[in-house]
Amino acid sequence: MLFRIDAKPNRLTAWTLSWFLFASGIALYFYTSNKRHIENPEDKVIPNLTQLSQGVTDAFLKPDTEEAAPEGLENASLPKKFLTSMLWTDTVASAKRFAWSMLLLIPAVVLGLHMGMFPVFGQFFLRFILFFDKIIALSVLPILFIAFGIDELAKIMLIVIGVTPTIILDTFNLTKSVPSEQVVKGFTLGAQDFGVAYSIVLKQILPRVLNSIRLNLKSIMLFLFAGEMIASQDGLAFRIALLRRHMGMNVIIPYVLWVALLLFLVDLTMRVTNRKLHPWFREA
Amino acid sequence: MPELIQLENVGVIYNVHGHAPKQVLQGLNLTIQPGEFVAVCGQTGCGKSTMLRLILGAERPSSGRVLIEGCERPRPDRHRGYVPQKYSLFPDKTVLDNITFGPETEEFGLIGRLRPGFRRRREELREKAFGYLRQMGLQQSDAHKYPDQLSGGMQQRVAIAQALIMRPAILLMDEAFSALDPGTRADMQRLVRTLWQETGTTFLFVTHNIPEAVYLGSRIVVLGKDSPESSSRVLVDMEVPESARTASGYPNREELERLTRVIEDAALGGRLELEMAEFGG
Repeated sequence: MLFRIDAKPNRLTAWTLSWFLFASGIALYFYTSNKRHIENPEDKVIPNLTQLSQGVTDAFLKPDTEEAAPEGLENASLPKKFLTSMLWTDTVASAKRFAWSMLLLIPAVVLGLHMGMFPVFGQFFLRFILFFDKIIALSVLPILFIAFGIDELAKIMLIVIGVTPTIILDTFNLTKSVPSEQVVKGFTLGAQDFGVAYSIVLKQILPRVLNSIRLNLKSIMLFLFAGEMIASQDGLAFRIALLRRHMGMNVIIPYVLWVALLLFLVDLTMRVTNRKLHPWFREA
Repeated sequence: MPELIQLENVGVIYNVHGHAPKQVLQGLNLTIQPGEFVAVCGQTGCGKSTMLRLILGAERPSSGRVLIEGCERPRPDRHRGYVPQKYSLFPDKTVLDNITFGPETEEFGLIGRLRPGFRRRREELREKAFGYLRQMGLQQSDAHKYPDQLSGGMQQRVAIAQALIMRPAILLMDEAFSALDPGTRADMQRLVRTLWQETGTTFLFVTHNIPEAVYLGSRIVVLGKDSPESSSRVLVDMEVPESARTASGYPNREELERLTRVIEDAALGGRLELEMAEFGG
């Protein structure tokens, strides 16, 4: 049954199989935590449920510092407490950088499209982008900090350098993969060069480009986290790096799960949007 | 008055990476008058599609000249409609949007769709597109389907409508029915013949199927090589008089025998009879 390629697990089996590793992971965590707490009740490496609850409360309902707390916060409603919490302010700070990085991917898509459509454009940029793509973005981090300072620009540039060459080359390849018949057809229907590029080719490749960006979300976050961990005063990764020094695992773990949840939601939103915007598109 | 299409001593050489350049066509001369239905046939690799792409403007000759209405037009344009075998429709657009794409693009361009009159004009064009859909034998309910929801035959019907709505001077069809089943193919052949008779558009139809060429063409051009090493040239160029056709659309027996003999003698050595039998003529 296990190694039969024609196996068809029923609904209950499929559900059980898909959740088994999650359940096992949680069980193993609490088993290990319990064992360590028997040896050392103050253990902070693998916090128990009580410590985790405290960490979640601190992260989700308390501000970063006492000074940052507005007056009367103690009696405020839960949503208000959440909106002034450490987690929320860090999330907003990281989300801003993430949004800027996503916006900067638009020129990357346009460049890839033009490289694929217009040979002169392609010849001018392709070799350079191919070379740029091979540079490990983190290796130029010191140069970025020297060139752009340690402010927001350096962190955003890190993401740009890390992800845009991939998106440019992906878009370029997708553009090239559009059958030449479609381009010729466009001209015979009265379209001009930009009309063919934007009304025919871009519309056809857009769902795949969005998929490519979706698959690169983790890389975007990776570079964002690297920048925040090294030089930042706020943000999700900054907090994780800060708490690491104090062994604040009871807050780090909720933060990590929160980041995973956010990324999952962004991915889901992009997938649903892609499907709604391009009902004709069938994923291979 | 210049000829509609004129190929003057056209040669095409392809540079093949790591190999000697390959001469596909050499010294090709052909003149096509308005209103003709030219069926171009020949064996695979003889340069039929290359010739079509030259006339379309999608490819340039290595030597010689391709003239459209007396001028060299090195890029495809709205005067030359195109129906390829594959990828004939835009997959991201519905049937209706595929058909109206041409007129909308021509009238409004890339950003003109933001102009105030666009919506009203679009409705008019949609009405016109429905007319073409009916002419192609498609239902109104097909209008909002995407190409991948249509059969191969239906897709080609839409592709023909998409090309014809532009009222091109020439309609170039490259093995447009090759992927269709025999029944659908016969239906499409009848449709194309009717459209040619009704619209008076010049058709250039590339096929490797001789019965198809005989049925459709008012003129048959056979491309081929004198020897495996040589490049292709026009081996046969002959008229099929409409008066010689029977009610089924096929040439009568004497005309069919004449066509068969000419093509056999010149090029294909006995293959015509076999394919004609397959076609059920």
